[in-house]
Parts: sequence; C-alpha cells; structure tokens
Amino acid sequence: MEAAALSAPAHGHDHHGPPEANRSSRVEPQMLGMLLFIISEIMVFGAFFTAYFFIRIVNDDGWFPVNGVELPKLVAGFNTAILLSSSLTLHWAQTSAKNGNRFGLKAGMLTTFLLGFTFLFIQINEYIHVGFAPHDHAQGSIFYGLTGLHGAHVFIGLTLLGIVTVRAFRGHFTPEEHGGVEIPGIYWHFVDVMWIVVYTTIYIL
Amino acid sequence: MLATVRQPGWTRAMTFVAIGIAFTYALSLGARAGLGYDPVLDGEAVLQIGLLSVPFFFLVGLGLFDYWGYWMSGKPTRAEDHSGHGAKSWKSYFYPNTDHKVIGIQYTVLSFFFLFVGGLFAMLIRAELAQPGRQFIDANTYNGVFSVHASILIFLFIIPVFAGLANYVLPLMIGAPDMAFPRLNALSFWLLPIAGVMMLSSFFAPGGSFASGWTAYAPLSNSAPIGQVFFTIGVQFAGASSIATALNFLVTIITMRAPGMSFFRMPLLVWANFSTSLLVVIATPFVAASQFFVLLDRALGFNFFDNGQGGDVLMYQHVFWFYSHPAVYIMMLPGFGIISEVLAVKSRKPIFGYRMMAFSLLAIVVLGFTVWAHHMFVSGMQSWIRIPMMITTAIIAVPTGIKIFSWLATLWRGVLKLDTPMLFALGFLTMFTLGGISGVMLAMIPITVHVSDTYFIVAHIHYVLFGGSLFTIFAGVYYWFPKMTGRMYDERLGKIHFWMTFVFFNLTFAPMHVIGVQGMPRRVADYADQFATWNLLISLAAFGTGLSTLVFAYNMIASWRGGPRAVGNPWRALTLEWQVTSPPPVFNFDAIPTVVGGPYEYGVPGAVHGVFADDPPPVMAGAKTVAGGAGTADAGAPPSDSDHA
Repeated sequence: MEAAALSAPAHGHDHHGPPEANRSSRVEPQMLGMLLFIISEIMVFGAFFTAYFFIRIVNDDGWFPVNGVELPKLVAGFNTAILLSSSLTLHWAQTSAKNGNRFGLKAGMLTTFLLGFTFLFIQINEYIHVGFAPHDHAQGSIFYGLTGLHGAHVFIGLTLLGIVTVRAFRGHFTPEEHGGVEIPGIYWHFVDVMWIVVYTTIYIL
Repeated sequence: MLATVRQPGWTRAMTFVAIGIAFTYALSLGARAGLGYDPVLDGEAVLQIGLLSVPFFFLVGLGLFDYWGYWMSGKPTRAEDHSGHGAKSWKSYFYPNTDHKVIGIQYTVLSFFFLFVGGLFAMLIRAELAQPGRQFIDANTYNGVFSVHASILIFLFIIPVFAGLANYVLPLMIGAPDMAFPRLNALSFWLLPIAGVMMLSSFFAPGGSFASGWTAYAPLSNSAPIGQVFFTIGVQFAGASSIATALNFLVTIITMRAPGMSFFRMPLLVWANFSTSLLVVIATPFVAASQFFVLLDRALGFNFFDNGQGGDVLMYQHVFWFYSHPAVYIMMLPGFGIISEVLAVKSRKPIFGYRMMAFSLLAIVVLGFTVWAHHMFVSGMQSWIRIPMMITTAIIAVPTGIKIFSWLATLWRGVLKLDTPMLFALGFLTMFTLGGISGVMLAMIPITVHVSDTYFIVAHIHYVLFGGSLFTIFAGVYYWFPKMTGRMYDERLGKIHFWMTFVFFNLTFAPMHVIGVQGMPRRVADYADQFATWNLLISLAAFGTGLSTLVFAYNMIASWRGGPRAVGNPWRALTLEWQVTSPPPVFNFDAIPTVVGGPYEYGVPGAVHGVFADDPPPVMAGAKTVAGGAGTADAGAPPSDSDHA
C-alpha cells in the first residue's frame, strides 16, 4: 500500500458521520472528476468535428468562401488572442491563490472574467455581421454549430469564473485550500485550448 | 404554506414546474415577437423549449442544486449533518437522497418499472403480429410502439439498472463509505424519471409518438411529427445521467478503494463497471451530439442532414453508431461482472484467469470503438470501410470468447449450487453464446447483406440483450436481493421464474432466426401469410415470457415485505459487501476494512480477502489455520470453505 490513508481533517461531530474513506490515489477526487468530464467534453467536440469533416468532404465547393462570403479571419484571430491572454491572467490568479497574494487573486480573476466576457461579446457581434445564417447552407450550419458549441462552453466557463471571482472578493480561498480556483481553472484552460482547435479548423484550414 | 413551498420537496418542485412553464411561454412568445415571426404563439416552439427547460426547474425545485447553490454563493453549507443520508421510511425513496444504497434501490426499482412498461409494449407488438393483417393498432401506432419499446428498455432499463446495482454494491465492494460525489449521484438518478416520462408522454403528442425506431435515423427523424423531439430531448437527459454516474464510478474506484485493495484485488464487478464507465464517458457524448444535430435541424432550420443544402445523412449514422456500438458493451460489460461474482461464489472456486478477465474487459473497451460501421454495411457508405470493420468485428469476439471460456473453466469441477442466481448465470452463458455466434455471423458482410432488417436481427439483439443482459440482471437481483432488502427471496418461485423465462424466451426468439433468414422484415406491422404459423407460435411464447415476469414481480414484492430475514452472508462469499449486515449500516462500515488478498479465493485454505478492525490479525497466507476473518455480522458462516478444497 503506497498511498497512505488521508490524515483526517477533524470532524466537528464525533459519531454520526461516515468513516473516513481511504484515499487510494494521490489525485484529488474533484480534480479527477473534472479531467474525466473534460474527456467527455472533448468527445462532444469530436462529434461536431466529425460533422464538420463530413460536410466539408461531401461538398464540391468545400469550405468558405461559400457564395462569395469569406470568414472574418482577422477579427476571430484578434478574439483568439483575447481568449488566450485570459488563460495567462487566470494562471496569475491561481499562482496568487497558492501564494496567498489576495490582490493578485482578485485582480487576476476579474481580468480573466472580463477577457472571457469580451470574447463572447465579440463573437456575438461576429454572428451579426458574418453575412450568412445557419439555415443558408450546411457549411453555415456547422460554422454556427461548432462556434456556438464553443460559445456555450465559454458561457459555462464564465459562469464558473464568475462564481470564483465573487468568492475571491468575499475572502474565500487560502494557500492551503484553493481547489475552488484550480478546478474551474482547468475547465477554462480546456475551453481556451479547444478554441485554438476550433479556430484552426474553421478559419484557417 | 410559504414554508412548505420554500422547503425542497415535491411542493416546491411542482411550483417550480409551473414557473418553468410560464418561463417557457414568455421566452417563446418574446423571442418570436422580437424576431417578427408569425404566428407569435407556436405550439412546437413552446414544446421544444419546454422539454429542455422545465426539467431543470423541476430539479431545482426538488432541491438537487440547493447545496451547490449555497456553496457557490459562499454561504455556509449544510453538509456535515448528513441529514440527507439514508432512508428513514419508504417515503424517503421518493425524495433526493445522497446515500448510494438508497440511490441504488431507487435506480433499480425505477428501472424495473420501465422493464414492465417496455414489456407491455412488447406484448402489444406481439398481439398485433399474432396474425397477418391489422389487429389492434394501425401501422403508425405500431411504429411508435416498437420505437418506445426499444428506447425505454435500452435507455431506461438496461443501462440504468446496471448503474443501480453497481451503485448499491460497488462502494461496499471496494470498502468505501459512499460514492465520491453523493450529490451528483442523486442528480443522475433524478434525470432518469424525466427521460422516461418524456419518452412515454410522446404518445400524447399530435401525430403520435416518435416512430423512427430507437436509432432515429436522420432524414426520417428530421421530418417526423413533433413526437420525435420527445426522443431527441429525452435521450439527452438519459445520456447526461449515465455520464454523471460513470464519472462518479470512475472517481470512486480510483480514489476510494480500501487499503490493500490494489486494482488486481478488485472484484470483477468493479472491473466491469470501471470499463463500462470508460465507455460511457468517451462514447455517450456522441449520441448527445447526434441528437443535438437533429434538434438544431428541426428547431432552428440547420442543414446538417439536408442533402439539398450540402448536408450529409450518412454522417448521422456514423456519429450515432460511434456511440451506439460501444453502447452495446455498456449494456453487457456490467453483466459480465455480475456473472463473475455469481459463478465464483456458486461454484466455490476462484475465477479462472482473473487477470485475463480484467484485461479482456479493457480490450473490449478499446476494440468497441473500432467496429461501429458494421451497422452500416447496407447504408451506402464507401464500400472500402466494410472489410476493416468486418475484421475488427470478428476480432472483438476474441476477448468475449476469453471470458466465456474462463467462466467455463471456473465451473470445471466446481461444487455447483444450482439456486436461482446460478441458474440465471448458466442460462446467460448458453444464451449469450448463441447470441454472440449470430453476432459473428452478422459481422460477415454477405450474411448481413442478406438478413439486414429482417427478424434475424431481432433474434440476435434479443439473444444478447434478453438472454444476455437481462439474464445477468436477474442473476444480480436475486444474488444481491438479501443484501439490498435484508430478506431472502422465495427460492421455489425463483426457480419457476427461471425455467419459465428460459423456455419461453427460447420459444419466442429462436424461431425469429428462421423467419428472418426466410426474409420477414422487421419493424413492419404486417407480414406475408407464409409466416403466419411461426408468428402465432412466437406471440403465444411471448405472452408466456410476459407471465414469467409476473412471477418475478410477485416474488420480489412478497419477499421484500415478508420474506425471512437474511443473514449478513447467506452465500458465504468473500467480497466485502457480504461482510456487513444485511442491509448494511447507514455508513457501510464502522471502520474501513483492510484488504489482504484476492476476492475469489474460494476453496483456498487460509485465504482472506478483507480484514475488519475488530478481527484478529490475519494469519499469513498459506498457513493452515483459517483466519477468522472476514465475517463480522454472522459468525455462523465461514468466510472461506476449505472443506470443499
């Protein structure tokens, strides 16, 4: 037995509770749960990418420009930079949480949240000005499908980040106990990395 | 009054459902008015938004998100009083509960309810097919009935009942006080009745229930009447439920095993659920996505499956089967685990080739993702995909064959106890082998081309799902019935149930091979006169199968109410769940046991699996004295039976 039993945090009550579970892995359960959930999420994106490649292959005119409409690569590239920088600020917030730097935690979380919000705002603007609708053609369907799926994930991530930010401003999280920043943070990093894949396939390839 | 509404529970849930309906109308009317659509009130739009949003209002009202709400807003949570843990009376089973044992029973009982509903649909199908021509229902209703029959039994019986049984016994088996995420566990249970109610209520939709089969192939499901979205959205809830449970199982198995319980000391049921959960986590998102595509096409006019606009209908089948072929292993691997438990205990022998049993499960997980297109041999996809898929499909029979032969070797020279769980386990071995052989036949392209969409397929799927999965479920339910209820079932009724099921099952489904090869098409309400005799026989046998289920139901209900009290370890099993009282104490163990040996060392002198704190320290393995061991609850049952060695 290499993994030692967890040193039990003192329970406030003595006998009603369950026996302290043995910890047979060094990975935090919450962390492992989030990683497995991310695998699941990757597969959702995988299904949408499958649809993308099928639609791209079966159409003779292939990918954009369709009917003379080109995708706004530059705006989306700028948006990519915004989302990627939010990963950096998030990392700053996480490091600050570990080191007990409260200002860094609060400022990092707030910046991350605002950057993510800006990303979503620019993307909705892009939808308004992109010049085609999902029901115009299958390419439009999968463009809206994939970017919309990612947008939904940004929204979920922003909700999580919003909660973390509020909690940070309320004085939660200590250098010993910062799982509440770490685990939503992993999700946000996943959303960012997934955007690079989505951006590359949709806009560049 | 206000206090009742504020309290999480059914009153608040119903209030929230009313709010949800109001919200649905407001959102639909507002959006359509804002976008200038005409008419502003559109029934289908309201229905689609409502099916997606009202369940969430229901769940919030029932109180499943309360704790997370407190936690997120930084308010003090109420975790540590364990008030939501354990059942106080039968009423507790109708409320959210965080105890894995309560959730396990909730899951199992609800799934069996859906087994009876799905079985009634089967009776209706067989009544209609008893004679050529139209008897009871018209063709469209017939299509709806067989679609709901399949969807209910797959998504609301077989997949969740395995999750339910494992929910009950898996934490006990690995020596954990509960699952890793008890609140997520409660949430994943409560998603199920939503999916079930949704699928059943599709019969009230204008245009009838969804009628495109459980596969819901795309161009058909895109243009089907509104009843189709009850499937499209219902599957999302069932799928979310199984993903959440699978995450929970994986994290529980990885992080919460008792000291000394290494991966290769885990019972094979734990291995089986580990493998199944991997499949669920990786594959289930694909069925969610396939139904999202359909929903987007239907609701928002997307063109995923509109050939005229550049869509591709074959893409639906690829995405769907990339989930649904692994799904057949999701519906079978936990059953493999149950059979391993039952066979080892009931033949008093160690499982033959324990490691190969575990590795073959993992091999099935990997290979399961490489065979999906064998469902599409006649779909018109590129023909070069067919040969590799034929080969991988033949290969995937190898790990399954390893398991079958290991079980046979386990039985070899064992001291067999032929009680009900064992009978069902042996019935499974024979019937699943038959179903597996017709599966290998179907892997061969020429045969598939000949029998595709005939009753041969129906016979195959029922041999693996009824003769395979359902037999393992019955074996598991009888095997753990004493543990789950604290009562013994009636052995005589159990045996009657087995023999009725076994005989009528074969009389029902074996002739389908014959009429299938002769060309009787499946999924059609009428058939040519030449098949009339066989079909009458099949229908009569099917009613016999239906009757056998009533024996089972009576046995379960009567024994649960008034059966003799069960001792802690009636089967003299070694695995940890049998070393506590029946039913187990509310937190499973007073102290977590330590595992010192393998789970199946039956007949090995001195073998010990788990050691409890109040036991004497274990004697070294191989020593002559039997360590007093594993038993705590009933001293009468020896933990290992060296007398059979």
